[in-house]
Amino acid sequence: MRRTFPSQTPIVRRRFLTGAAAVLTLAATRRARAAESPLRLGLTPVFLINDLQLLSELKGYLNRACGQPVELVLRRTYQEITALLVSQRLDAAWICGYPFVQFEDRLRLLAVPVWRERTLYQAYLIVSAERQAQGLQDLAGDLHAFSDPDSNSGCLVTRALLAEKGTTAERFFHKTIFTYGHRNVIRAVAAGLTQSGSVDGYVLEVIREVEPELASQVKIVWRSEWLGFPPIAASSAPASRDRSDLLGDALLAMHEDPQGREVLATLRLDRFTLRPNSLYEPIAAKVALVEQRA
Amino acid sequence: MRRLRPPITVTVPMLVAGLMVFVGFVVSERVMSRLVESQERNLAQLSEAYLDGLSASILPYMMRGDIWEVFDALDRARNLYEGLRPTETVAVDANGLVIAASDPRRTPSREPLPDSYRSRLPEDGFAIDADSGEALLRRPLDYLGAPVGALHAVVDIRHLLEERREVVTTLIITNAALTIALAAIGYLAVRRMVQPTRILTEHLTSGATGRAEPIPDAKMPPPGSEAHRLYTAYNTLVMAEREREALSRTLAEEERLASLGRLSAGMAHEINNPLGGLFNALATLKRHGASPGARETAISLLERGLIGIRDVVAAALETYRPKRAERPFGPSDLEDIRLLVGPEVRRRRLSLAWSNALDDNIALSNAPLRQAVLNLLLNACAATPEGGALALAAEGDAQGLSIEVADSGGGLSEEAARVLTARRTALAPPAAGGLGLWMVRSAVDELGGRIEIARGRLGGAAIRLSFITAAKEERVDAVA
Repeated sequence: MRRTFPSQTPIVRRRFLTGAAAVLTLAATRRARAAESPLRLGLTPVFLINDLQLLSELKGYLNRACGQPVELVLRRTYQEITALLVSQRLDAAWICGYPFVQFEDRLRLLAVPVWRERTLYQAYLIVSAERQAQGLQDLAGDLHAFSDPDSNSGCLVTRALLAEKGTTAERFFHKTIFTYGHRNVIRAVAAGLTQSGSVDGYVLEVIREVEPELASQVKIVWRSEWLGFPPIAASSAPASRDRSDLLGDALLAMHEDPQGREVLATLRLDRFTLRPNSLYEPIAAKVALVEQRA
Repeated sequence: MRRLRPPITVTVPMLVAGLMVFVGFVVSERVMSRLVESQERNLAQLSEAYLDGLSASILPYMMRGDIWEVFDALDRARNLYEGLRPTETVAVDANGLVIAASDPRRTPSREPLPDSYRSRLPEDGFAIDADSGEALLRRPLDYLGAPVGALHAVVDIRHLLEERREVVTTLIITNAALTIALAAIGYLAVRRMVQPTRILTEHLTSGATGRAEPIPDAKMPPPGSEAHRLYTAYNTLVMAEREREALSRTLAEEERLASLGRLSAGMAHEINNPLGGLFNALATLKRHGASPGARETAISLLERGLIGIRDVVAAALETYRPKRAERPFGPSDLEDIRLLVGPEVRRRRLSLAWSNALDDNIALSNAPLRQAVLNLLLNACAATPEGGALALAAEGDAQGLSIEVADSGGGLSEEAARVLTARRTALAPPAAGGLGLWMVRSAVDELGGRIEIARGRLGGAAIRLSFITAAKEERVDAVA
């Protein structure tokens, strides 16, 4: 069922007024001004958004750490969240490296998750556990599941891999479908709906721990190189900087708080940290490769 | 040949069992058809609800051909419906290609619907395949009148079929137990009910073949009951029969004595006739005893007269001596009978034609046969008007004996004929006389003979007694 959220038009208007006022006022008044409306953090299916308990914990921590209400905004696709973020209707969003490099000039990094002491992750190609497949070459002609058209690990990496081999997903696979969720890719492959899938390595590793039965029904046939972990980004427009920084600071300090550590533990993350945009250069190279071949 | 019929103690429980089997069958059939009807109605309603819910959520995705969303909806709906166990649900597009199935491995996307569905497609949207324990559902989907595709579902109904089997088993066991119990109750009840009748039947059966015995007091049911009245009536009948038998014996004895009386009168006459001659002979002897010629003549007269008297007395003694010795029947017995019946024949001025072709003894006890022939002749005398004619013809050899008595009387009455020739010998003489003929019949039965009645050559009755005496082997030898 689709969630309903409060109408956004008045909020946008208010935020525009807020942004205009910020230019004229001092940074010391950041907190007071930011308190005018709830902070909005966008989440995509890169993240395990089907865990309601986790969402509640995260919201509770952020409310407390930011000192004001935080609203978690969930959308089905990366595109929707990215559009909301770029148009400053979100104060921050946990997006993927691919949208970040697409809109790098209009976004800034607030925090990057640290997973297994690195800010890197891999993309996987998976097939059902009983299938005899060794690599990409065995997947030709498959019905293939992508996660999201704007997902790095769930789409771009595979497309770039095929581009390197001089082909495209449309030519290489019999057909591709989008499931709009890494967990859905795993379900589609496990159920036999598709013969293969492109999935986020971090999500699959977490699912191995959380839902071992589901994870056991698939196996990895190919791993990408290590790439920049999906970041939390904000609009680079100066008007919303204070509000975004509130959220960024809360995330960066999460591992210092007991409730925050619980959230991190559920996400199997170590903490959030700061990284330069260069972390996502390999992804930008893939984008360029795919666009060149298209 | 008579068909062997089972006793009522068996037929009634069998009938009860048969009825119970019939009733059980009818009731079971009704129960099962109602159960099947109810199961199918519930299943159809659940299926409708399942397809309704699924159709609403899946229609937009089907219109877009969104494989993942269709699969996701089918997959999530799998466990949503309590009481319905869909094993597989398949969404096909308007061209009959599978969009997605809940079990994609069995029914892959973007391929035609498998034959296993097409061959069993229910026309009315609902069909039951009892062999595989599945129900098949089909729901065409359209949007604003344009076909979008269809939903096919296979529902596991083995638990429903199992429930039917359990109900059938329960019905069979219950009905069988009831049938056996009621048959047993029927057996005991009927056995108890027919017990008095059975005792009575046993007594009547043994009475028919031998002597009827009254039912002893120990076996008597409590007074006032139907059986008690029945037994009392039976015992009264047996006692009356016994009295009648005793009376018959008395009557027969009296008849014998009566005929003895009549014969005695004849004998007295027979004896009296020569007495005058004998006294004359005595007087001749007294007066002319010295004359050898007269003496010889007188003595000869005396001797012949006394021999005649002796023969008459001997014949009477032979016939009526109470404890007579067994002796084979011979020509002399017939001569004795002729002697005994002679006075009666003469008294009634009848003519008696006597044909005795016997030349040797016959292996038959003489006493009952003498009595039978004598009675026949006396009966013929009585039946023949004065001046009439009688005839006796006897012939016999080692194989058998035949004696016919004919008269010129008015013939035998129907009742008299029945006494002689009825299939079964009456236990007692007929009430309306005929004691002599009854004694004839008794004697012939005793000797194993046969009685035939014909219209005699003298105009009246002719009664033939015939006896076969030769042993079987001897007859076979004779034929050989």
